[in-house]
This record gives sequence, structure tokens and C-alpha cells, in this order.
Amino acid sequence: MMLYLLRRLAAVIPIMFGLACLVFFLLHLIPGDPVEVMLGEAAHPAEKEALRRALGLHLPLHTQLWHYVQGLVMFDFGTSIFSGRPILDILLERLPATIELGVAALAVAVMMAVPFGVLAAVRHKTVIDFGAMGFSLLGMSIPNFWLGPLLILIGAVWLGWFPVSGREGWRSLILPALTLGVSMAAILSRMVRSSLLEVIREDYIRTARAKGLAEWTVIVRHGLRTALLPVLTLLGLQLGALLSGAVITETIFAWPGIGSLTVEAIQRRDYPVVQAAVLWISFLYVVVNAFTDVLYAWLDPRVRTEESP
Amino acid sequence: MKVVNTRVWIVWLSVLGASVLVFGCRDVPSQSDAIRVGVTHVPDHFDPRDATDAISSRINRLLYDRLVDLDEHAQPVPALATWEQRTPLQYRFVLRAPRPTFHDGSPLTAWDVKATYESVLDPARLSPHRSTLELIRRIEVSRDDVIDFVLDHPDPLFPHYLVIGILPANLIARGHDFRRKPVGSGPFRLERWIDDTRVRLIRRSDGQRIDIVRVPDPTVRALKLLAGELDIVQNDLPPELVAYLAEDDRLRIMRHHGTNFSYLGFHLQDPVTGQREIRQAIAHAIDREGIIHFVLKDGARLANAVFPPEHWAGHPALNGYPYDPDRARALLTQAGYSPTRPVRITYKTSSDPFRLRLATILQQQLAAVGIDVAIHSHDWGTFYGDIKAGRFQMFSLAWVGVKTPDIFRYAFHSQSVPPHGANRGRLNDARVDALIEQAERAKTLQEKQAVYRTLQAVLLESLPYVPLWYEDHVAIVRREIVGYRLASDGNYDGLRSVRRRGITTRSLDRESTASEERHAIGTMRRQ
Amino acid sequence: MRSWVPLAIVLVWGGVAIVAPLLPLDPDRIELSSILAGPSAHHWLGFDELGRSIGDRLIIGARTSFVVAVCVVSATLLVGSAIGIGAAYWGGWIDRFVVWAIDLVLAFPGLLLAIVLAGMLGPGIDNVVLALSCVGWVGYARLARAQVLMLKHREHVVAARALGATPTRIMWQHLLPLISAPLLVEASFGVAGVIVGEAGLSFLGLGVQPPSASWGSMIRDGTRYMLVAPHVVLAPGLALMLVVLAVNLLGDQLRDWLDVKTKTVIKA
Repeated sequence: MMLYLLRRLAAVIPIMFGLACLVFFLLHLIPGDPVEVMLGEAAHPAEKEALRRALGLHLPLHTQLWHYVQGLVMFDFGTSIFSGRPILDILLERLPATIELGVAALAVAVMMAVPFGVLAAVRHKTVIDFGAMGFSLLGMSIPNFWLGPLLILIGAVWLGWFPVSGREGWRSLILPALTLGVSMAAILSRMVRSSLLEVIREDYIRTARAKGLAEWTVIVRHGLRTALLPVLTLLGLQLGALLSGAVITETIFAWPGIGSLTVEAIQRRDYPVVQAAVLWISFLYVVVNAFTDVLYAWLDPRVRTEESP
Repeated sequence: MKVVNTRVWIVWLSVLGASVLVFGCRDVPSQSDAIRVGVTHVPDHFDPRDATDAISSRINRLLYDRLVDLDEHAQPVPALATWEQRTPLQYRFVLRAPRPTFHDGSPLTAWDVKATYESVLDPARLSPHRSTLELIRRIEVSRDDVIDFVLDHPDPLFPHYLVIGILPANLIARGHDFRRKPVGSGPFRLERWIDDTRVRLIRRSDGQRIDIVRVPDPTVRALKLLAGELDIVQNDLPPELVAYLAEDDRLRIMRHHGTNFSYLGFHLQDPVTGQREIRQAIAHAIDREGIIHFVLKDGARLANAVFPPEHWAGHPALNGYPYDPDRARALLTQAGYSPTRPVRITYKTSSDPFRLRLATILQQQLAAVGIDVAIHSHDWGTFYGDIKAGRFQMFSLAWVGVKTPDIFRYAFHSQSVPPHGANRGRLNDARVDALIEQAERAKTLQEKQAVYRTLQAVLLESLPYVPLWYEDHVAIVRREIVGYRLASDGNYDGLRSVRRRGITTRSLDRESTASEERHAIGTMRRQ
Repeated sequence: MRSWVPLAIVLVWGGVAIVAPLLPLDPDRIELSSILAGPSAHHWLGFDELGRSIGDRLIIGARTSFVVAVCVVSATLLVGSAIGIGAAYWGGWIDRFVVWAIDLVLAFPGLLLAIVLAGMLGPGIDNVVLALSCVGWVGYARLARAQVLMLKHREHVVAARALGATPTRIMWQHLLPLISAPLLVEASFGVAGVIVGEAGLSFLGLGVQPPSASWGSMIRDGTRYMLVAPHVVLAPGLALMLVVLAVNLLGDQLRDWLDVKTKTVIKA
């Protein structure tokens, strides 16, 4: 088990290295120049050149990459071109908000998806099934940028239960978490349903039923536990999507997370911030998934034998 | 199977437990009486020597004082100091009494002024304002309240340039981090940053707190106003939303003529857009009045030049290009185009929704006279980069907060092609160059005024830009907020006098009363 | 719901997409005086933020969304499954590399990739397809790889290999039929993601360029006027939901229909 864990974590390193290079080159491929954005056109060419030098942007690309990777190894992410603050500070300031929103959205999704999925599976091909799946499809097809303002209008302006936006207290977390969680709940509930439908057909469930156990006991005691196994993997993948994909939700709710930080930094070509933010998001993602895999292997020993070449 | 099942439950319970922990342990902040202002983004820093964007300079005006203010005609008026021109090369500034104190309690002196401007001029500091101030040869202090600026060459506009906030000399010498910890003498001081999304200012006279809150989405800004989570929102709202909010009796709408100049820019070395007839045809083909009425909901006024008529260098009576599709078609025929051989133009724009909407309307209006427009929208960084590199035929942008006529050299002189300036369209017109230089050489303001007026008439005729409009400033304020005023350049100076009705303010201490009074005078003079 | 309804909706969608250019529509006609005007006798769905007929744009937009959805889903499905099957079948360093690449793409924010593509290629519908495909293939590759890993030690595959069947033949004849059901079902769910994703990309300036209409961009623009004119977002929103619902139900039906053959696979 330990060995599997170590192997899985070791695999993180080449991915992080690949990501670091990828983000570096992509950023330098796109047109735009932070010096121009910062100084404006009024500045003298000489001043721009001086700033470019001060930022190390005059060096050849491979040298810049080398410095950058060197810095990363020492956990030095550099400073923001615009605010001049150490990027680690900026990220650490934003990270709690990102994780908070991610976990809350996850909780919303799980709390909605499991009951819906189970109901739909148990009452397969009935009105309940169609209703639950209809809701799920609704969730999948409503874009965040519509759902967000809609929830604000209802929950904050009409009912006045929650603040419109910002990050002040647990109430302000509810609407963004719902916005983000609903689309995830949609995907998750379908997964729960289909996974449970497969499990119900398994022999041991039939045995349990044959023993005369009540239908619900069979489902919850025996079926659900096994059915949630594959859902766990999906959950890990989705959490990754939550970390990076919350950009629109973060913008709507003025949530101070890493997603909106990244978009702002991309627009201003604040290279070091984009690089660091993308790496952090990716790192969280990779680690969460490595962890999910290991967890999965711990829960279901069959996986380990399958994966070893 | 038993073991596996137990493990599954352990995992699920810990996932839920963790999430409960995460958002169960948050403290709820106490209700505050702060007045909250919604903005699209908060500044990165508060160092007036480095600030270039509108929001930074608006907030820096609250934290710092400056020698000179520009009035509604963009004419300099005394702020911290009055001045006299002793010789063409020497200006004497005398700090007015009572002099304000910095946030740390020390009084503002002439030495602080000298230190501030010298640090702006320090090449190592890379201040974006250095190039305008480079004509300063030296700065002399003869008394605690007297500063002499000695120039390299005469420039009657010199006082116009002295609008940078004054920092305390001792902190400059110590290399204080003004970007994060601003210390000025303005009516407000920074209490704290609350992550990157909120800034709290304290009014020194009465302790009133003002929160500057970042709310990027316009619909959400409007909803926050309705829900009472914001008290003031100024500009950056779609006209429809303003009209919608105007109907709510909890809100009050304030409007003021603006000076931000929207225009269509052209590449003048391009075989198509380089032809004057085509640009004129475009000017005649656009129904600017219709757009202002229906799209901007009358929230703008027609523009014919960079400066509005009330600007001291503005032209009082320019004849623009009226909406006349027939005339546009005739001009195109004259240039050798016809419906079978239409003009094809690429129109670059940022992906900002309003700009995109405008582009779509112009596309249709131009199609009606036989100009085939392809719209290319890009994210801001890409768009701006393309414009500067000259990779465009036509684009739309606005000049924001431009007050001094050095804009003409900067935007139209043949030597100002990027990276040396903002002549993005590569205008190369000997007559324009000559007029710009003549205006710069002029000895008096009156003389300059005459030349700049001629220059703007010439520019309207040769049409390197098609002028569109000056957008109004709009502030939406909740009714319980009183004392807010809307400034002609859209600054936030109204926050100096704003208060929430029914809330009694703390007793004033004498020192800050004096400073507040002086600010009040400064504000009155500008009205 | 009757079993033929989802199919009918999808067919109508496809049909409208094909015939849309032939209809007497005026989707780009701007009437400034009817900006955000509500429904009228001639224009049942009202006007958008530029005074254009929402009904006309809905029909033309169906075409854009259909084309994008079909192109992206088929491209990603083909490329993704091919990569996934190949990686799982051959194993070794190829598999390790593919897994590495999948993890890389999954971990990388798609947004940044989209902006880079927009900057390099310029905006346009073909680049939307490209950008969405660049991110989309990994899902199918993951799924295909996982399925093949389970299947490749099955008796019939081992037997085929022992009999000297070529790898192509084994993949094509013995593996693909068994894994195509879950892949197709996954693809049916992908359609919704693609249509909504297209809207997100237009947001970044990579999407369809004005005055072209797509459902995604109509919803995005309409959302801005949610308070002032809620009808603008309603029609494209409902159209999108209906299509997503239909495609997904169709996916379910497909699964049930294929279930006879695949039951044994999924049990593994």
C-alpha cells in the first residue's frame, strides 16, 4: 500500500514539471507585454527597456525558463509585476477562499446528488426517476453565469436571506456554493444512479433480497456502499474542475479566489502571477487526484492488481 | 466486502465532516456603518508616483494632497499652494496656510514637495510620470513653505503637470513602502486592505469609514445596490441598468457631463483606411445621435474633438459629420468603390460587452452604405498589444481622464508612433506636426489656445479619428446617503462630504477641521 | 416521456440547423428603436439588446450550436478513444506517456489554453471547435483506457492474440464494440458541456464573432439584461435545455438498447 502511495506521489513530479514548462511557454506565445500595460505608452522607450531589464524580461526565453524553474525548486514564485508583492503572499491570501468554496460546492453536490441518484435508481423508470434526472439535466444545461445572478435575485434581493456577494461569514458562502455545486450535482447524480443500477443487478444484492431483507435496507446497506466507489474518483476529478473552473462563479460573487486572480493576471500579462496561480491550481488538482486514487485502491484492492503492468 | 463497506463509510463521513468544519468555523463580522462604494477593481497599490489608471488616481486624490488641481476647464487652480511665474524658467509655489499634516502627524512642508518630485524624477524609480516632468532642472526650497521650480525650457503649461500627490520626505528617504502603506496628507487614510477585494478608508475629520468594494459583474453591482450592500456606484453600468435602477425609489441618480472621449481609430498607412474619403464616408454613415439616444439612453453628448468645448484648449464650435448615408455612398463612389466592389474593413475591439455591442451596430450601419466590416474581438491584453503594434485597420477606444494638450503630440505627431507615443494609426501629416510644434512653442496660454483650436479643426477635417461622443458620468446613490457630489472628471472627491443620514459623527478635532475646511474651499472653487 | 420524443427533438434541431440558411430570416437586422422590446404579434420572442429579432436568431443560432456540438463531440470522441485504446493496449512507455499527457491537460486550466489559442489563431467558429477539442479529448481517452485495461486480459482477446490477429484487428473487432456503449453515452453527456463551453469561450473573445448568433452567446448576452428584460435569455435558455434533455435521454435509450451486449462488461 505504502509503495503504491509513494509511486503515485512520485508521478506528481514530472507532471508538475511539464505544467511549469507548458504555462511558461504558452504565456510567452501570446501577444501583449506587461511593461506596456504597466507604464502606459507615455513612458520613454528607455524607461520601458530599464523596467524590462529590472523584471528580467530582456533575457532569452530559455534563460528566463531556467531562472523560473530554479526559483520553483526553491519555492520562490517571484513577485507580482503590478503590485510588487511576493506571489506566495497573494496566493496564500486567496487560497482559503478557493478551498472553502470548492469544499462547500462539493458538499452541496454530494448532498443533492446522493439522494437524487438513489431515488432515481430505486424507482427506475418511474416518474420519480424522470423527475430526478430531469432536474439533473436542468443543472447541466444552466450556465453558471445565468444561475448565479438568478440565485442572487431570488435568495438575496427578493428573500433577503443571503448577502448578494462578497466573502463575509458563512451566509455569503451559500449562493456561490449552490451555483457551483448544482452543475456538479447534476453530473454526480447521474453517476450515482447508473452505478447503483449496475450494483443492484449483482448477485449478492439478489442474495440479500432473497434473504427477505427490506428493499431499502438492501439498497442502503449493500448497494449504495459499493455504488459510491466509482463516484469517489469522479469526485476527485470534479474537485479539480472546481478549483480552476470557478472563475465565472468567483467573478459573479466577487469571491476572492485563485480563479479570478488568474484571469485578471492573464489580462494584464502579469506572467509570474499567472504561472504561480496555474501551478498551484494544478498542484492541488494533481495531489487531490493522487490521493483519490490511493484512497480508491485502499477501498477496493482489485484496482492495484489491475493497474500494475 | 465488510471491510470495504466500512472504509467507504469512513471516507464519505470524513468528506462531509471536513466540509462542515470548513464553513462552520467562520466568524461573522459585526455590522458596520461604513459607506460602501462599488468598483470594478481595487487598485494594486497606492503610490501616486506610479499610478496611471483611473481608479488609482481617484483614490489617491483622497489619500494625498497635491500642489495644483485642474478645474472643469482643465485650468490649474491652487490646491496645496498658490504660484507665480517669476521668470519664463522659474515658478515659485507657496504652500497655503493652514498646511495639512500627514497621517503620521508630521506637518507637510516644502521639503516634502521637493523630495516627492525628486523621487519621481529619479531614473532608478521608473515612474511613468517622469517624462512629463523631465523639464524640471532643479527644485529649491527657500523657506518651509516656499518651493522654486527651475526649468530647462519654458512651458506655460508647467503648473498643469504638478498634480502628483505629496509624500513625506522622511519616509521617502527611508524607502517606505507607499504602495502597501500609503502615508499622505489627504482627508482620508487607509485603514486596511481586506484581501484584494476590499479597501477600507477612514475619513480623518470624523472617523467615517468608507469601504471600496470590488464587484466585477455589473448586474451584481446593481443587485447589491438594491439589497443595500452598496451605497454608491459610479459609472461602469450598462445604460439599461441605470434606467432600471432609476425607477427604484430607494435610489437616486446623479449625472454630470463627462470628458472621456470615445473614438474610432484607423490605420492611416493602410491602402483602404488610409483614404480620407473612406474615413469621411464612415463618419457620415454612423448614426451617432441614434446610438446615443437608443443605446446610451441619452447618457452621452456628441464629440467632434479630443477635448470638449468647455476645455480651455477645446474648440467651441466645430462642425462635425452629420448622419448622411447618401453622402457616405457618394464619397465611396468617389473613392472608386461600388456595391459590386465593396470596401472591406477589419474592426478590432476588446471583448468588453459594450464595445462589442457598439461594434455590431456600427457594422450594420456601415453595411448599409456598402462597407463590409469584419469584427475581431480579443481579450484586453491581446487587443491592446495588436493596436500598439499597428495590427489593425479600424478599432474603437476611449481616452480617459485626458486633461493636458500634450495629448496631441502624444497621439498625432509623426514622431509618436509606438513605442514612442500613442500615434497608433501612424499619422504622418506635416501640417499637424507643424501645428503641434507651434502650439508647444507658444509663449502664452491664449496663443496656445488659438493654435490648438486650429489643430482640432484640422484633425476633424483630415479625420485620423472619427470622434464619437463623451460619455456622461453617472452615480447611483442610496437615498439615505447624503452629501455626495459628482465631479466633472468622475473623481471620488464627493466622498469627502458624504454621510449616512441619521448617523451622528464623532466630534471633530481641531486640526482636521482646518484641513477639511481647506478641502471644502478647494472643492467650491472648482464648482 | 414517450420514447420517440427525444429523437424527434434532436432531429428537429438537426433539421433546423441544416435548413436555417434557406429560411427567410433576418437575424442580423438591427432596429435601435426596438432594443429589448418584448414579444409582439410578428416577433413572438421579442428583441435583443440590439433590437434584433430573437426568434430569427434562435433559428440561426441552432445551426452554430449544432455544428460546434457535432464537430467537437465527434472529433474528441474519435481522437480520445483512439489514444485511450492504443495506450491501454500497448501499455509500457506509451501508456505512461498518455497518462502523463491526460493528467497534464486535466490539471491545466482550460481557460489559459483558450486565450492562447485566441491570441495565436484569431477568433472564429473553427477555433472554438479547436479549443474545445484540445481540452475535450482527455475524458474519452481516460474512459477508453480504463475500459480496455479491464478487457484486454479477457479470454476472447487473449485468444485472438494467440491466433495471430493484428493489433489493429483486435482493437477494432474485439475491443471497440465492447467499449463503444459507455463511450457513446459519455459523448451524449458531452453535448451539453460543449454548447455551454462555446458560450464561455465567446466570453473570452474566442467565440463566434458578431453579428453571428449561437445559443451560448445569446444566453451570455441575455444574462446581462436579466433584470431589465428577462425574456431575452429565456428563449435560448429553454432551447438549450430542451436539446440537452433530449440528447441525454437519447443517450440513456442508447445505453438500454446496447445493454444486452454490454452487461457482462460493466460487471467486471
